[in-house]
Amino acid sequence: MQYMLLINEDESIYEGEEGAKRMEATLAGHMALAQAWTEKGISFSGERLKPGNTATTIKWDGGNHALHDGPFAETHEELGGFYIIDVDTLDEAIEWAKQIPVPGKGAVEVRPVWPMEG
Amino acid sequence: MRPGDAIARARPRVIAALAAQLRDLELCEDAFAEAAESYLAKSVTAERPEAWLFTAAKRKALDAMRRNSAQAKIAQDAALVSDMADIIKLPEAIPDERLRLIFICCHPAIALEARTALALKVICGLPVAEIARVFVTSEPAMFQRITRAKSKIKQAGIAFELPHRRLWAERLEAVLLTLELAYTVAYQDAAAERDNGLSQEVERLATMLVELLPHEPEALGLAAMVVLARSREDARVDGEGTMVPLSEQDTALWDMRAIERARAWLDQAAFLGASGPYQVMAAIQLTHARRAYDGSADWGAIVRLYDALMAMRPGPVIALNRAMALAKTSGAEAGFAALEKVDADRLENLRPYHAARARLLAELGRADEARGAYEAALSLDPPSAERLFLERRLAELT
Repeated sequence: MQYMLLINEDESIYEGEEGAKRMEATLAGHMALAQAWTEKGISFSGERLKPGNTATTIKWDGGNHALHDGPFAETHEELGGFYIIDVDTLDEAIEWAKQIPVPGKGAVEVRPVWPMEG
Repeated sequence: MRPGDAIARARPRVIAALAAQLRDLELCEDAFAEAAESYLAKSVTAERPEAWLFTAAKRKALDAMRRNSAQAKIAQDAALVSDMADIIKLPEAIPDERLRLIFICCHPAIALEARTALALKVICGLPVAEIARVFVTSEPAMFQRITRAKSKIKQAGIAFELPHRRLWAERLEAVLLTLELAYTVAYQDAAAERDNGLSQEVERLATMLVELLPHEPEALGLAAMVVLARSREDARVDGEGTMVPLSEQDTALWDMRAIERARAWLDQAAFLGASGPYQVMAAIQLTHARRAYDGSADWGAIVRLYDALMAMRPGPVIALNRAMALAKTSGAEAGFAALEKVDADRLENLRPYHAARARLLAELGRADEARGAYEAALSLDPPSAERLFLERRLAELT
């Protein structure tokens, strides 16, 4: 079963000199995770996203739309990246999701992907 | 055994065994209901109703799954385990399945308030209306909560395996709460006429949990509490079918071996050095049980234990019980004053609250008010043993 792991984080902790060091550690964590998946033969994909202030949102309301400068969710924690991994159960997906580095405030949402058939 | 009882008794095991193979709680419950209907409709009683119901329910579930293409693959796998083989390995294989199913229902990915409700529905087979009453919510709201939880288990791919040992801790709280509430429901009737073997089932599950987690003090506490309450089963109703309150029970009718077993579990828990509400509740029961040895109950100790319990897990029912214990040590007036301080809104629909008030009002010589309180308790649909008891007390008022 495929699960999407949506990583929401407070971007501000990566600002400044301290923040750059933190980012280095976070990236290393992601590399280690990718390596672990490869070694275990778990198929995965994922991307890192540019900061929330680069987002443009098309807001729909009953057939009408308007462009909005910024991300959809108005929170301090922005969607910063995602993975899709293929594992057997939610528990396994959660176990992996817990290993995603989130040094500051944030959340990782685990969602099953709608299967192609059925 | 009447066919209805046989069905109720078989339910948790059969549902658990079905769910382990088919991984769809809704489907298993529906299939079991259909199988139960066929069982009631046929004229011969099966020698082993459990095996009969399992086979029939599984066949119905597989038929339903084949109609649904998305589930056809699982149906195919499950069908490979032949029905015959299922029957042969039924008695041993199933007990573990029930506890496993409780752990699955208590998965932390399901909202806390839904976990226990789901487990009560699926494993203990409690009707939704009863569960709603335990959680003080409406039946439609509870129905929706349970349906949502079942759907999440199915859609999100929650594993149908007993989780790894290191993951048990985060589920334990909900597992213990499930067993506690199931027991509360089963125990509320002295004559056990509505019980359908539920209290026996809860004891079995609590004991199994202790075997699984012998170093978990709260699991030991819960098991001790359940066993202690059950040790008094034969003393709870008199020859005329009237409920006998704990403090008036004939201790010769108590099961002393059960009391000893519970005491050993509590000792074991105490060694582990982490106290908790279940251990305190068990300690209260054990203090009552000591009347069988000492001839009288130490109500002062009981009040102190209720104080400790209130600090750990404050709640109106505990406050009510504390007030009643206080009445024994400090007099009816002090007990009544403590009872009046409890949030009555949350107790209004509870028979024990009205019965307790009535009792204290009678002791205080306020007969008219006592009469009103007994009548309030009687208006809340008591089981027959309790109704007879309340009517007798009401008649004794002068």
